[in-house]
Amino acid sequence: MSLRLKLLLLGLLTLVLPWGGCRYARQMEAALREGELNSLQAVTQTMAASLQGRTDLLYREGKNHDVAQATATITAQATSDPQTATSEAPTSATAATSTPVSSASEPQPAPSDDEPARSQPSPYDLTPIMLRAPPFLDGYGDEWPRTPGIWRYFTRDKHRFGILTGVYERMLYGLIEVEDDHLVFDAPGTNPLEPSGIGDRVWLGMRDPQGVERQFFLPAPGAGVVTARRIETGEYGQQLAVDEPRITGAWQPNAKGYRVEFRVPLSMIGQRFGVLIDERNERGATPISYGTLYSDDLHTVGHLIVSAPELTGYLAQFIQPGLRLAVTTASGSLLAQADAMGQVAILRPQRGTLALFYRRFVDRPGERTPLVSSAPIYDRDHHNVIGNLTATETADRWTRLRDRALTEMLNFTIITSGAAIIAMFAFAAWLAVRLSRLRRASESALTREGLVTTFPETEAPDELGDVARGFSTLLGRLNEYTGYLRTLAGKLAHEIRTPLTIVRSSLENLESEKEVPASARIYLERARQGSERLNAILVAMGAATRVEEAISNAERSRFDLVPLIASAADSYRIAFPERRFATELPPETLMIDGAPDLIMQMLDKLIDNAVDFSPAGATITLRLSVDSHLAVLEVDNPGPPIAPKAQGRLFESLWQSRRDSGGDSDSRPHFGLGLYIVRLIAEFHGGSASAESLPGDAGARFTVRLARP
Amino acid sequence: MKRQVAIVEDEPAIRDNYAAAFTREGYVVRAYGNRKQAMAAFAARLPDLAVIDISLEEEPEGGFELCRQLRALSPELPIIFLTARDSELDAVSGLRLGADDFLTKDLSLAHLIARVNALFRRVDALRKPSETSQVIRRGPLTLDGERMQVEWEGQVVLLSLTEFWIVHALARNPGHVKNRQQLMDAANVVLDDNTITSHVKRIRRKFQSIDPTFDAVQTVYGMGYRWVE
Repeated sequence: MSLRLKLLLLGLLTLVLPWGGCRYARQMEAALREGELNSLQAVTQTMAASLQGRTDLLYREGKNHDVAQATATITAQATSDPQTATSEAPTSATAATSTPVSSASEPQPAPSDDEPARSQPSPYDLTPIMLRAPPFLDGYGDEWPRTPGIWRYFTRDKHRFGILTGVYERMLYGLIEVEDDHLVFDAPGTNPLEPSGIGDRVWLGMRDPQGVERQFFLPAPGAGVVTARRIETGEYGQQLAVDEPRITGAWQPNAKGYRVEFRVPLSMIGQRFGVLIDERNERGATPISYGTLYSDDLHTVGHLIVSAPELTGYLAQFIQPGLRLAVTTASGSLLAQADAMGQVAILRPQRGTLALFYRRFVDRPGERTPLVSSAPIYDRDHHNVIGNLTATETADRWTRLRDRALTEMLNFTIITSGAAIIAMFAFAAWLAVRLSRLRRASESALTREGLVTTFPETEAPDELGDVARGFSTLLGRLNEYTGYLRTLAGKLAHEIRTPLTIVRSSLENLESEKEVPASARIYLERARQGSERLNAILVAMGAATRVEEAISNAERSRFDLVPLIASAADSYRIAFPERRFATELPPETLMIDGAPDLIMQMLDKLIDNAVDFSPAGATITLRLSVDSHLAVLEVDNPGPPIAPKAQGRLFESLWQSRRDSGGDSDSRPHFGLGLYIVRLIAEFHGGSASAESLPGDAGARFTVRLARP
Repeated sequence: MKRQVAIVEDEPAIRDNYAAAFTREGYVVRAYGNRKQAMAAFAARLPDLAVIDISLEEEPEGGFELCRQLRALSPELPIIFLTARDSELDAVSGLRLGADDFLTKDLSLAHLIARVNALFRRVDALRKPSETSQVIRRGPLTLDGERMQVEWEGQVVLLSLTEFWIVHALARNPGHVKNRQQLMDAANVVLDDNTITSHVKRIRRKFQSIDPTFDAVQTVYGMGYRWVE
C-alpha cells in the first residue's frame, strides 16, 4: 500500500470528530427533550390544579355532565324507549356502546338546573366540536369536518339521521344529514301550522338559561335558507308561528335525503338541547318522529356539553409559541383549545441540503414528535375528574436549536477533517514525490556498468534529506573508488614504466658489450623478450587512458558512416583471412557527427573481439541501420553466447572473460579494455553499447548506437 | 670534434644507461639529474644536443621549463623530450615549446641513437646549401631529405623529425595509402594508433597555418593515409 493511501486512511481517523459531535448532539438533545417534558408536565399539572373545581369554566352552566370517577367505568342500562336507539360512537374516546340512559318507557322528566352531576353520560347529549371558522349556512356540509367518529346517529325503524354540532365564538352550529328517500317540503304559502300542509320538519328544542323549555322548528318551503319559527299562543288562544330570527338554517336535498344546517346563539341555550326530525312521506301525514327530544312535547332530554366561552380565553393566557393547550371532558370530547403550535419563534428551520442530509443521518425515530402531557382536572373535593388538560408542545423549538448547533458543528468538523485529510494526503504525496525522486536519482546514479553520475544536492533538513545526503556521500565514495580503480591500470603502467626502461636500456647496453660470452647471449635474449612482453602489457594497460584523452581531444566533423564501414570491412578481409566478413548497409547516406578515427578504433576492437570468439571460417556480419534518431551498428559473430550475468558488465573497465583460445596464437595481452574503449567511444558519439546473445545461443551480437544529428 | 650530448634525467639507472649508449656511439655525454644542475651547466656551456626528461625530481613539468630556458639561450639547439608518460597533452605542449622531437622511454636505445644521429644530420644539412638530389617536389610541397626540411608554397613548415618522416613517407608515393604501421616504421618509432593520428593532425595544422586550404593529407578510413596532389 502506498504512502499516500496509508496517510489517507490515517486521515480518515479524524472523522472521529464529527461522529463524536453527533453523539454529543444527540445526547444533548435527549437531555433537552427530557427537561422540556418535565417542565411541560409541571406546567400541565399546575394549570390543571388551577382549573380544579372550575366547572364554571369547563362547562357553560357550571355543571359537569360528562363525569368520570378516577376509576369510573360507565355502567350501561337497558332501555325500551322506542325513541332511543343505538347511537354510533360519537367521539373516539368514549367507551359508550349503546347506552341509553333511562329505564322507564318514557324518558324521565327533565331534572332541574340545580341537579347534581349525573354519573352517566347520556346518549342524547350532544358535544359540539370546536369550529375554526363559522360554516356558511347553505345546506352543504363542505366546511364541516368529515371525521367519522364525531357524528352521532339516530335511527328509527329504517329512518336515520346523523348530526354534528360545532361551536364557533358564541354560536352553536349544527349539520343534520337525514336519510329520507322522499323529501316533502311544506306546502308553499300556507301557514306552517296548518297540518295538511306540513312536510318534513326539523325541531330544535332547548332549555334556556332560565330553565324554560323552548322549541323551534325550521319550516321547509323549499331548498335554501330559512328562519326558525316558534309557536306562540295568540290572544285568542290560537297557535301562531312566529319568526325567530336568531335561529337560521338552510335546507338542501341530496342523494340520500336532505341536509339541514342551522345556527343557534349559545346564549339561548342553557344546559339542554335536542333535535327531532318529523319524517313524513306526504304532506299532512302523521310523522315518524325521532331524535333527542320527547316526541310528545318536544322536551329536551340530552345536554349540550360546551365549555364556557371564558375557558378559551383562560387558556389563551397561558399559551406560548409552540404550545397547544386543550381541555377535554373526561371522556375525551374537546371543550376548549388554545393552539400556538405552529408558531415557533426561535430560529428558522434549517433548510439547506447539508442540514437535511445531516438530519437524515442523525435523527432517531420519534425525536421530532411533539411532547404531550396531560393531567386530570379534579372537582373541588378532589374526588371526581371533571375534565382533562392536555398540553402538546412541538419539539421544533429545541430540535431547531439542535439542528443549528449540529449543522454548524458538522460543517466545522467535516471541513477541518477534510482539510486535515487533504493536508495529509498532499503531504504524503509530496513525500512520495521526494522519495521517488530519491529512488530515481539513486537508480540512475549508478549505471549498470558501474559509472557514477552526479546525484542531486539537497538541503532539506528532515530525515529524507539526511537519507539523500547519505546516498550522495555513499555515491561520492563509490565514485572515488571506481575512479581509482579505473585509473589504476594507467597509474600502474606509469609507475612500472621507469623500472622497465631501466631493465631494457641495461639489457640493450649489455647486448652492445663485446665481451658477452656466447653462452650468456641466450639469457640476454630471453631477458629481452621478457621485457618486451612486459612493455606490451604496459602499452595495453595504458590504452584506456590514451583513449580517454584522445576522446576528450577529438575534433568532431560530419561524415558518412556507410563508406567508412564498407572500407573498414575491406581492410578486415585483408587483415583476417580466416574469417569472412558480410556487410548489410543502408542504401542511402547515414551522416553522424563525430570523430571517424575513433569510430574506426571502436570497430577495430569489436572486430578483434568477434574474431577471437568465432571459429575459423566463420562469417562475421557488420550491419548498419537507422532507428528513429539513432544510427545502429551491429557486429554479429557465431560462437559462444554471452552469459546473462556478463551482459551488463562486459563493457566495464578491466572486465576479463577471454576464453583461452589456444588456436589463436595471439600474444597480445587482453585486459578487458577493448569493450570499455568501445563503450567510451560510443558514449562520445551520444550513444551506447550493448551486447546480447544471438537467437538460439548461436553466437554474440554487439550493438553500438550512435546519435544522429 | 666529438659532439656534446646533454642528458637530463632524474632516474640514475636510466641516465647512466643512456650515457653509456651515447658514449659507445661516439658522443661526449654530459648527464644531469635535475633542472638546476643542467641549467647551470648550460649557462656556462651549451651542448650540441639535449635529451630532456619531462618530469625531473620534484617538478613534474620541469623538463618543459628547462626547454624554455634552453631555447632562450639557443633557438637552434636540437632538443628531444623523453617521457614515461605517453599522454598526448605532453606532446602538444612539448612541441609548442620548440622541442624537435618527442619520444617515449620505451623506445629502444637503438632507435634513440638513430634519432639523435638524424637530428645531427639535419643540423648539418641545414647549415649547408640544399642539394637538389635529395629534394622531392610534389606540387606546392618541397621536401628536402638531406636537411629534413619541408616547404609549402615556398614557406618553411617547422616539423618535428617524426612528422617529417611521416610526410616524407606519404609524399614520396602520392596516392598510395600508407597504413599506420608503415608510418610508424617510417618514423622509426613505436607509437600506437592514437599517437599517429595526433601526429597527422598536428601535421595538418602546421600546414594549415600557412595555407588554410591545405588538404593534401587524406584519411582513408580503415586503411591509413595518403598524399593527394
